[in-house]
Amino acid sequence: MLAAVKAPVIDWAGLSPLIALLGGAVLVLVLGLAGFRVVRTQWVPTLTLAAFGAAIGLLLWQWDSDLSLIEGTLRLDRLTILVTLIVCATAILATLLAWRDQAAREIAHGEFFCLLLTASAGMMVLVAAQDLLAAFVGLELLSMPLYVLCASRLRAARSLESGLKYLIVGSVGSATLLYGFALLYGASGTTSYAGIAKAIETGGLAGDPLVLTGAALAVVGLAFKASLAPFHQWTPDVYEGAPTPVTAFMSVATKIAAFGVIVRLFDVALAPAVDDWKPIWIAIAVISIVVGNVGALGQSSLKRLLAYSSIAQAGYILVGVVVFTDLGVQAVLLYIVVYLFANIAAFAVVTLRERETDLGDDIGALRGLGAKRPLMALSMTLAMLSLAGLPATAGFVGKLRLIEAAADGGLTWLGVMIVIGSMISLAYYLPVAAAMWREEAAATPEPGIDPRTGRPALAGGAPGAADAAAADGRGGWEVTLVAFVCGAASLVFGIVPQPLFDLVEQAARGLGLS
Amino acid sequence: MSIQTAAWLVLACPLAGMLLVALGGRRWRGTSAGWLGTAAIAAAFAFAVVTLVKLQDLPADERHVASSLWDLANVAGVTIKLGIYVDPLSVFMALVVTGVSALIHLYSVGYMASDRGYVRFFAYLNLFVFSMLLLVLAGNLVLLIVGWAFVGAASYMLISFWYRRATATAAGIKAFVINVVGDIGLVLGSLFLIREMGVLDYGSLFAGVQDAFPKNDATLVAALCLILVGAFAKSAQVPLHTWLPDAMEGPTPVSALIHAATMVTAGVYLIGRMHPLFEWAPTAADIAAIVGALTLLIAGTIGLVVTDLKRIIAYSTMSQIGYMIMGVSAAAYVGGFFHLMTHAFFKALLFMAAGSLIAAMAGEQSIDRMRGFRKAMPFTFGCFIVGGLALAAFPLMSGFFSKDALLFEIGQRGGWYWGLYAAGYLGAILTVVYTWRMIYRAFWGEAVEQAEELEHGHLWHAPHPTNPATGEVEDTEVGFPGPEHHVAEQTWQMKLAMGALAVLSVLGGLLFLPFETLEPLKSFLDPTFEDSLVQHPANDTLEVLGIVATSVIAVAGMAFAYRIWALGEGRAGAWQRRLPALHRLFAAKWWFDELIGILVVRPAAWFGRWARDTFERLFVDGALVGGASGLVRAGSAAVRALQTGLLRSYAALLVLGLTIVLLYFLIRSA
Repeated sequence: MLAAVKAPVIDWAGLSPLIALLGGAVLVLVLGLAGFRVVRTQWVPTLTLAAFGAAIGLLLWQWDSDLSLIEGTLRLDRLTILVTLIVCATAILATLLAWRDQAAREIAHGEFFCLLLTASAGMMVLVAAQDLLAAFVGLELLSMPLYVLCASRLRAARSLESGLKYLIVGSVGSATLLYGFALLYGASGTTSYAGIAKAIETGGLAGDPLVLTGAALAVVGLAFKASLAPFHQWTPDVYEGAPTPVTAFMSVATKIAAFGVIVRLFDVALAPAVDDWKPIWIAIAVISIVVGNVGALGQSSLKRLLAYSSIAQAGYILVGVVVFTDLGVQAVLLYIVVYLFANIAAFAVVTLRERETDLGDDIGALRGLGAKRPLMALSMTLAMLSLAGLPATAGFVGKLRLIEAAADGGLTWLGVMIVIGSMISLAYYLPVAAAMWREEAAATPEPGIDPRTGRPALAGGAPGAADAAAADGRGGWEVTLVAFVCGAASLVFGIVPQPLFDLVEQAARGLGLS
Repeated sequence: MSIQTAAWLVLACPLAGMLLVALGGRRWRGTSAGWLGTAAIAAAFAFAVVTLVKLQDLPADERHVASSLWDLANVAGVTIKLGIYVDPLSVFMALVVTGVSALIHLYSVGYMASDRGYVRFFAYLNLFVFSMLLLVLAGNLVLLIVGWAFVGAASYMLISFWYRRATATAAGIKAFVINVVGDIGLVLGSLFLIREMGVLDYGSLFAGVQDAFPKNDATLVAALCLILVGAFAKSAQVPLHTWLPDAMEGPTPVSALIHAATMVTAGVYLIGRMHPLFEWAPTAADIAAIVGALTLLIAGTIGLVVTDLKRIIAYSTMSQIGYMIMGVSAAAYVGGFFHLMTHAFFKALLFMAAGSLIAAMAGEQSIDRMRGFRKAMPFTFGCFIVGGLALAAFPLMSGFFSKDALLFEIGQRGGWYWGLYAAGYLGAILTVVYTWRMIYRAFWGEAVEQAEELEHGHLWHAPHPTNPATGEVEDTEVGFPGPEHHVAEQTWQMKLAMGALAVLSVLGGLLFLPFETLEPLKSFLDPTFEDSLVQHPANDTLEVLGIVATSVIAVAGMAFAYRIWALGEGRAGAWQRRLPALHRLFAAKWWFDELIGILVVRPAAWFGRWARDTFERLFVDGALVGGASGLVRAGSAAVRALQTGLLRSYAALLVLGLTIVLLYFLIRSA
C-alpha cells in the first residue's frame, strides 16, 4: 500500500529560503522561552535578523535560477525572488523598528518575531505558488500571524480592536477568495495556473459564467488583501490601531505579496480572459486612487493618513498590473521598491516620535523636529516628497515609469488619473513635511499630567504612555538608522535610478509577457 | 592620471570649492573664504593643464575623448549619460575659463575684502565657474543645457549681488528673463535634433547629421535657428542684448568674469562646438554671421556716446562678441576662438582697471566726472593703456593678431563675405574711437577733486553713499560701496591679477602669428575643426592688406580720438551738433529697450493684468480651484462618512462591492 505512494520531487536548494524563514521561526520561538531577559530581548531579534539575512543570501544565491519546487506547486523565478527579497528587506527594517517596541514586550519577544517570520514565509509561498491551493495556503500563512501581530499590544484597547477587526473582515475576504478558487477549479477541472489558462484557452471558457464568477470572487479577495477601494475600509482602522512596526511591515510587505499573486494569477492563469477582467481592475484602480487620496485629506493621525495614502499608492501600482505588459510589471516592481523606502522611512519617524513625545502619532508630534533633529526631519520630508512623486526623489521615477507603462499599454487616461491623484496627494503630504519645520507647539500642561515626569499620571491614559522605551526619552538608534537609510535611498534612487531599472527589467523578463 | 580623471577633476574643484565656502558660511574668518575659492579655481586650472598635456600626447586623429560617470537615464530609446567630451576645443575653453577666473578670483580677494557678503560672493563665483566648465565640458545636449541654465542662474545671483539696490535686482531679473528666453530656444532646438536623430551625445550627432538630413534641410535650419536664440541671448547679440549693459550693476569682478571673459562667450563656443551642424545648414550659419555683424556695428556706435565707464566696456564687449559670432559662423574658427582668448585677457583687464578707477571715485561711474587720473593712479593708467591698445588692435598687441586673423579668414571666403569683412573693419574704426575716448576722458586733462586727493595719498569719500545709476542715497548695509572701500590700486592681489592680465594682453598674440610656421593655436585646434567643409584658399595680398589696414585704423583712430577728447573741451559737442539725428539714435541705444517694451513687455503686461484681474479671479480661482477643491472636499467628507468604524458596515460595503463585481462579470458572460 505504502509503496504505491510516490513521494513528490522536492528541490531542497530552491526551497532553502523558505526553510530558513520557517526554521528561524521555530528557533526564535524556542529561544523566546529562555529565562534570561537579555536572551529574550536581544538575542531573539538578532536571530530574527539572521534568519532574514540567511533567506536573503539564499535568494541571491539562486538569482539566476528558474526552478519548479515540489512538483510544480511553487516556482522560484525572478519574480518570486525579487518579491521575497523586498519582503525580507521590509521585515528586517520592521524588526529594527520593533526591537525595543512595547508590542514585542507585551506579547513576548519570541512570539512576536516568530509571527513576523511566519508571515514572511507565507508571503513567499503566496508569490511562488503556481497552484490555487498553494496560493491559498500562502495567503492564510501570511494572514493569521498578522491578525495576531495587530493585536500584540495586549493592554491597548485600540490594538485589540484592530486585531479583531482585521480578523473578522479578513476572514470574509479569505472566504471570498476561497470560494472564487473553488469555482475556478470547478470550471477548469484543475488547480494549477497553467492548467487553468490552458483550459480556458482550449475549452473556450473565456465567457463561461463559472469562470467569470470565480474570477470576480478572486478579484474581491485579492483587492481586499491589497487594500484596494472599495474593499479598503479595514485599512485605516487596522493601521491606526496596530503597533507601528507592524503597520510598517503590513503596509509594504502584504501589498507586495498581494500584487505578486495578482500578477501571477491574472497575467498568467486568467490571461486568456483578459478582456473580461481588465475593466474591473481599471475601475478598482481609479476608485482606489480617488478614495485613498481624498480620504487622507484632513487626517490628523499620521498612521491613518499613511493608511489612506497606501490605498492610493496601491491604486497607482494596480495601473501597472492592468496594462498587462512586460513594461507594466517592471513599473509595478520598481514602484514597490520606491514605495518601500518612502513608507518605511515615514513609519520609522512616526515610531520615533511616538516614543519621544506624548502625542502619539498625531501630526503635532512632528512639530519642531526640523530644529531639533534636522536629519530625521529631512528623511521624513524626503519620504513625503517621494510618496507625492516630486522630481529628484525616487517616487518621481516610479510614477514616471507607471505613467509610461500606462501610455504604452493604451491606457493614457489612467496615467492622467495618477497625475491627478498625485496633485491631490500634495494637499496632505506637504502639510506633514511643513509641520516638521515649524516651531514646536508651546507645551500646555494638561490636567492629569505628572508635572515631575511630564507623563500622564495614570498608566494607559495616553497613547504611548506605557511605552518603556519612551521612559528614557530616546527612540533608539536603530530606528534613527532605518529612517535615515530609507530617506537617503528615496533621494539617491531619484537621482541615480538606473540600478533599479536594470533590476526590475531582469525580474520581469521571466514572465513571458509581451 | 588619465585624461578622463584630469578632466573630471577640472569640474570637481570648483564644485568642491563652492560647497566648502557655502557650507562654511559665517565660520570663514577674514579673507580665508576668498583664498579657498581662488585655490579651487587655481587647482582646476592646473588640472586643465594636465588635461592639455595628456591630450597632446594622443595622436592627432584620436584627440577626442568621451567619458561618462554613469547613465542618468536609459528610457524610451534615448540614453542620457552624465558624460563629458574632451577635445582641443573644450580643453581650450576650459583653460581660458579657469585661467582668467583664477586671476579674477585673486583680484576679488582684495576688491571685495570690505564687503559684508564676502563669503556669499565667493560661493556664487565658484558656482559660476563650475557651471561654465560644465557647459564647455558637457558631452551631450542634456548636460549642455544643464550647464547653460546654471550659468544663467549664477549670473542672476551675481548681478543682483547687492540685493538692496533696486537697480541691481531689476538688472538681475532682466538678465535672467532674457537668458531664459534663450534657454527655451536652446531646449526646443535640442528637442528638434533629438526627435530627428534620436541621439544626444556630440560624437553621434556630428557623425550622423549628414545622413539624417539633406544639406540645408529646413528642419535642421529651424532647429539651429532655435539653438541660435540661446546663443544670442547668452552672448548678448541683437535683439537679445539689452540685459548686458544693465548687468553692470553687479560688482566689477563679476563684470570682468561673467560679462567679458566667460559667460558671454558661451554662444561663440556653442556655434563652434556645433560647427558640423552649422556647416550642413549654411542658412542658419549665415543668419548668425549677419546678426554678429549687426551687433558689432550697433554696439560700437552706442559705445561712442555712453558716458558710464562700465557700460562703455560692456558695449565694447557686445561688439567684440559680435566679431566672434560672425567669425565662427563664417567658418573662421581659429580666428574666432583666438579672438575669444585675447579678448578675455584684455577685456578682463579693462574691467579690473575700471573697478580700481571707480573705487577711487567712490562708486561714481560716469566719465563726465572723471578727468586727469594719470598721475593719481599710474598703475591703473598703465593697465588702461595696455588694455586699450590691445582692444584697439594696435600693432603687435594681442588684439591686433586676433582681429586680423579673424577678418582674414572671413575675407578668404570671398563672395558676400566681403560684406562681413567690410563691416569688421568699420567696426574696428568704432572700436578704436570709443576705447580711446574713454581713456582720454578719464586720464587726460586737469585732475578732478577725487584724483587730487588720491595724489595726496587718501581716498575721497562721497558725503552720502549714492547709487551711481539713479543718484539716490543708498543703504550701505549690503556692503560695498560702503565707507571702508580702500581698494583703489591699494591691494597687492588686485595689482598682481591686473599685472598678469596686462602681460597676457601684450603677449597673447604670440600664439597665432600670421606666419605659416608660427601657428601653435591653429595646429592645436585643428583636430576639432579638421572636418570643416569650408576651404580657406591662401591669399598673401589679402593678408598683407589686412595687417596694413588694421595698423592704419588703430593709429589713425587714436589720433582722431586724441584730437577730439584730449585736446580741450567742446570738440565733441561740435560733432554732436553736426550730426544731431545720429547722436540721438546712438544715445538712445537705437531704441532697442523701447522697442522691446512696446512689442513684448507691454502686451505681455497687459495680458498679465487681464489674466490676473479677470481670468484668474473668475475662471481659475472661482471655477477651477474652487470647483476642484470643493469636489475633493466633498469626496473627503463622503469617504469619512462611510468610515463609521463599525464592522458591520465594513462587511456590508464589502458585500456590496462584491455584488457589483459579480454582476458585472455575469453580464459580461451573458
